[in-house]
Amino acid sequence: MPSKNTLPPKENALFKRILKCYEQKQYRNGLKFSKQILTNPKFSEHGETLAMKGLTLNCLGRKEEAYDYVRRGLRNDLQSHVCWHVYGLLQRSDRKYDEAIKCYRNALRWDKDNLQILRDLSLLQIQMRDLEGYKETRYQLLALRPGQRASWIGYAMAFHLLKEFDMALKIVEAFRNTQTPKTMDYEHGELLLYQNLLLRESGKMQEALDHLEKFDSQIVDRLTVSETRGEIYLKLGRYKDAAVIYTDLINRNPENWDYFKGLESATKPETEEIRWKLYTDVESRFPRASAPKRIPLNFTTGDLFRCLVDKYLRNGFHKGVPPLFITLKTVYQDKSKIAVIQELCLGYVESLRDNALFNAADENCEKEPPTALLWVYYYLAQHYDYIGNAQQALHYIDTAIQHTPLLIELYVLKAKLYKHAGDIEEAVRLIDEGQSLDTADRYINSKCAKYMLRANMIQEAADMCSKFTREGVSATDNLNEMQCMWFQTECAAAYQRLGKWGEALKKCHEVDRHFTEIIEDQFDFHTYCMRKMTLRAYVGLLRLEDVLRRHPFYFKAAKIAIEIYLHLHDHPLSDNDADKLFDADNLTPSEMKKLKNKQRKQQKKLEKEKEKQKELEKKDHTNKKQQDQDQDGPKEEELVPEKLAKAENPLDQAIKFLKPLQLLAPERIKTHICAYEIYSRKDKLLLMLQSLKRGCQVDRDNPQLHIYYLRFHILVKQRKSAGTLPESVIKVLDIEMEKLYGNKDSTTLNDEFLSRNQNSVLHRASAARMMYELNPDPNSQAKALQLATAVNSDLSGVSPKNCRDVLEFMCRGDLGKCEAETLSYQEQCHKLFPHVPSFHIPSSQSEQIVTNGNMWS
Amino acid sequence: MNIRNAKPDDLMNMQHCNLLCLPENYQMKYYFYHGLSWPQLSYVAEDEGGKIVGYVLAKMEEDPEDSVPHGHITSLAVKRSYRRLGLAKKLMDQASRAMVECFDAKYVSLHVRKSNRAALHLYTETLKFEISEVEPKYYADGEDAYAMRRDLSEFKAVPKDKETCAYAVEQAKKAEISTVMSNLEKVTVS
Repeated sequence: MPSKNTLPPKENALFKRILKCYEQKQYRNGLKFSKQILTNPKFSEHGETLAMKGLTLNCLGRKEEAYDYVRRGLRNDLQSHVCWHVYGLLQRSDRKYDEAIKCYRNALRWDKDNLQILRDLSLLQIQMRDLEGYKETRYQLLALRPGQRASWIGYAMAFHLLKEFDMALKIVEAFRNTQTPKTMDYEHGELLLYQNLLLRESGKMQEALDHLEKFDSQIVDRLTVSETRGEIYLKLGRYKDAAVIYTDLINRNPENWDYFKGLESATKPETEEIRWKLYTDVESRFPRASAPKRIPLNFTTGDLFRCLVDKYLRNGFHKGVPPLFITLKTVYQDKSKIAVIQELCLGYVESLRDNALFNAADENCEKEPPTALLWVYYYLAQHYDYIGNAQQALHYIDTAIQHTPLLIELYVLKAKLYKHAGDIEEAVRLIDEGQSLDTADRYINSKCAKYMLRANMIQEAADMCSKFTREGVSATDNLNEMQCMWFQTECAAAYQRLGKWGEALKKCHEVDRHFTEIIEDQFDFHTYCMRKMTLRAYVGLLRLEDVLRRHPFYFKAAKIAIEIYLHLHDHPLSDNDADKLFDADNLTPSEMKKLKNKQRKQQKKLEKEKEKQKELEKKDHTNKKQQDQDQDGPKEEELVPEKLAKAENPLDQAIKFLKPLQLLAPERIKTHICAYEIYSRKDKLLLMLQSLKRGCQVDRDNPQLHIYYLRFHILVKQRKSAGTLPESVIKVLDIEMEKLYGNKDSTTLNDEFLSRNQNSVLHRASAARMMYELNPDPNSQAKALQLATAVNSDLSGVSPKNCRDVLEFMCRGDLGKCEAETLSYQEQCHKLFPHVPSFHIPSSQSEQIVTNGNMWS
Repeated sequence: MNIRNAKPDDLMNMQHCNLLCLPENYQMKYYFYHGLSWPQLSYVAEDEGGKIVGYVLAKMEEDPEDSVPHGHITSLAVKRSYRRLGLAKKLMDQASRAMVECFDAKYVSLHVRKSNRAALHLYTETLKFEISEVEPKYYADGEDAYAMRRDLSEFKAVPKDKETCAYAVEQAKKAEISTVMSNLEKVTVS
């Protein structure tokens, strides 16, 4: 229905040209034509023209004017579907989808069969997962355009996503009946496979199998056909058929571990030997394939394992396969297998050194190349690192470097060993040396930058990355543009360690925005995939986007952001508090000194860099302006570190980061620990309880959770005796506390926790902290200290990181005043882990020793 | 390392692998474009923990100038720490076969930096690519690219067909010539 304010033919023609210009992105011309209409006093308030002018201005980045014009246009012509549609488009461009949906609905009131508006509406509905609404709109589209295949597919998809499989299947089947497939018809094949997916998701396995057989010749994607058949045969218990399919699949790709799993499920080998034979059969057909050689190492035992791993290792050392150790990592879950491997490798070293043979008894064999010995050294270094023997690991990597001095892999590994030993600065030096041997390789460049970030050398890391980022833009900006989240999360962590809260938060928000953008990316695919018929992949995309923030990158960023917002809540920055240098509470004096020095240097560098950047931006200015003008998406508010660090409601900001974690990462204990921390500061007893309950489900004995578990116990007791809690809350608490704590008191609970975990360093530390907190008297302090500071070899978790944590608790006063004990603990740790800087006790001579290069005599 | 077809879930981790290894990077949307247009063509190599250690991101040329359907390798990477396991070849072979089966590709093309000797060696020696032309200033930093091609006809006759052929011949000994002929015909047509 056209609006009542129609223009005369001449102006109407101009108006049509405005629409055309908008579609063809000729915004300037569009403005010209709208001016021609609006300058005529008779039409200066013409609603639709005003609205279109606004929409065009929006595309040129002039947002405020855009809203003014569009709203003015709408006010002048409330019955125009064009004006409402335009208002919807404007809101949509600002990602205000709910508002946009309302506008589209208003537009449809005045023109209920407008295809374009219905399509736009359906896109927003699927994007927002308003599935019921989507179903309705798709129905209207199907009724209006039954000849288009997208109409059918879209309608079926709506039912599929609502899990109404029968309807979805009926619609697809009705549509399929109208189709006549050509030869090699990819799209038709995809349609059939989508139909098959529907059958399987609705649980109709037999029908799915029949369907596949019936349409076999019409499907070009042979791999999916076979994989699906294999799966169905297994589900239906048709093992013989499944075995045939999986053998075929292995012939096609002998490196797919799932196919071997399928073959095993189908053949159910009863003994290790028979199971092994499955693999030797494949190996004889595909002598170059790795999976049939590697997988049996997981399940064979005893002599067979020994014999196989011997062969596997020799082959790797002979050929010179650097990742040999990595490929065997999961075998290391079995201690007896580790021992076999170690014995074999030590044997190779001796024999290769003396005879250039893996075994002196192999006299008739050809001599091994010298590199074989090198790769055994390299392997042993990783082996000892893995089992926690830093001394041996370093010994073997040094031997390897003596053997072949300029091999990059050796430097990379040595750097890693130092990182594991707790000396990140030496690690940086080493990896930088490795990096300098091949500056054209981005992988090693990235590794080097990552180590630098671990050492809080942010500017150096950015400079390193800049060798591979676009010229003319700062490396950090380019990495942000490319959604390079490893860099950004590591960078955030470094800023956090440096106490640069604002900078760290900026990185966290940047990562969060990437996720928002990736969710946004779906938009175009809603229509695209219907056209391309890649419906299975499309459903996969929708399901991925629903849980996108489950990704570890989001988790990392969210965790840091939450920790910082908590800190900012506890220690708000005052106005003259420029980004506080660092959180001095948690550092030993020597670390503090180092940090201060480093920060001074960094500050200087940063200023220089900023100046450089400004100059560059000046040069780029004209260029940039042009780009900004033709932007489609909304312009994001700039992230300013100073502003972020002064957030008005840090806890509410923290909750924003927490929500996705609670929804998508409930299996991670840290989620619930963060939740507890936030809600305890908001004094929300029931939400604290909820976090504890969820945490207990994940890992009841987590050391950090244990602390909150007991503190909550005490808190509730206090609150109840204070008598300020409402009756209803007390009721809930009583029921839930009974389940969570039984009727035990805190001391008993702490003792029980300890006796369940008495061999673990971190658990002992937690129990000790609570022991002292519950009873801060000299007697229990002594007991607690003894408990926390033991590092004998019977204990598990004696690692640089854990011991550092314990030291931190002591410095922080969690175990009371205990300077002498702290010092002696530090000494003890220093002996155990000579490379960890924070265990090094500074003395008056230390400066001199450092310059002599004998830091750890 | 497990080699399998890439799923939508893998695309973000492929982007991560790409950013670690290669100078040419793309935003997620471009990965989605590949994964949703030609879901069969991209492959990943993952370790036992499910970490992506290598990938091939591939597509079909949408409007081929020579109107011969052919595939294109947008990006191929294997982490340096996973080299010498033959992953690149295994990834490429799987992708190539899918190009032939699903889209009837006759050849596959790619671009490589003129200075990237390691990659050039891999493509010419291991993967049997040939240089088809030089594209001046192909890369953003002004470097020339070699455009390379590999003929895919070897993937046309897949082993299974051979097996079926052998089976048909076997039948010949037992049965009438006419049935054998029709069997063979079926095989060649499919």
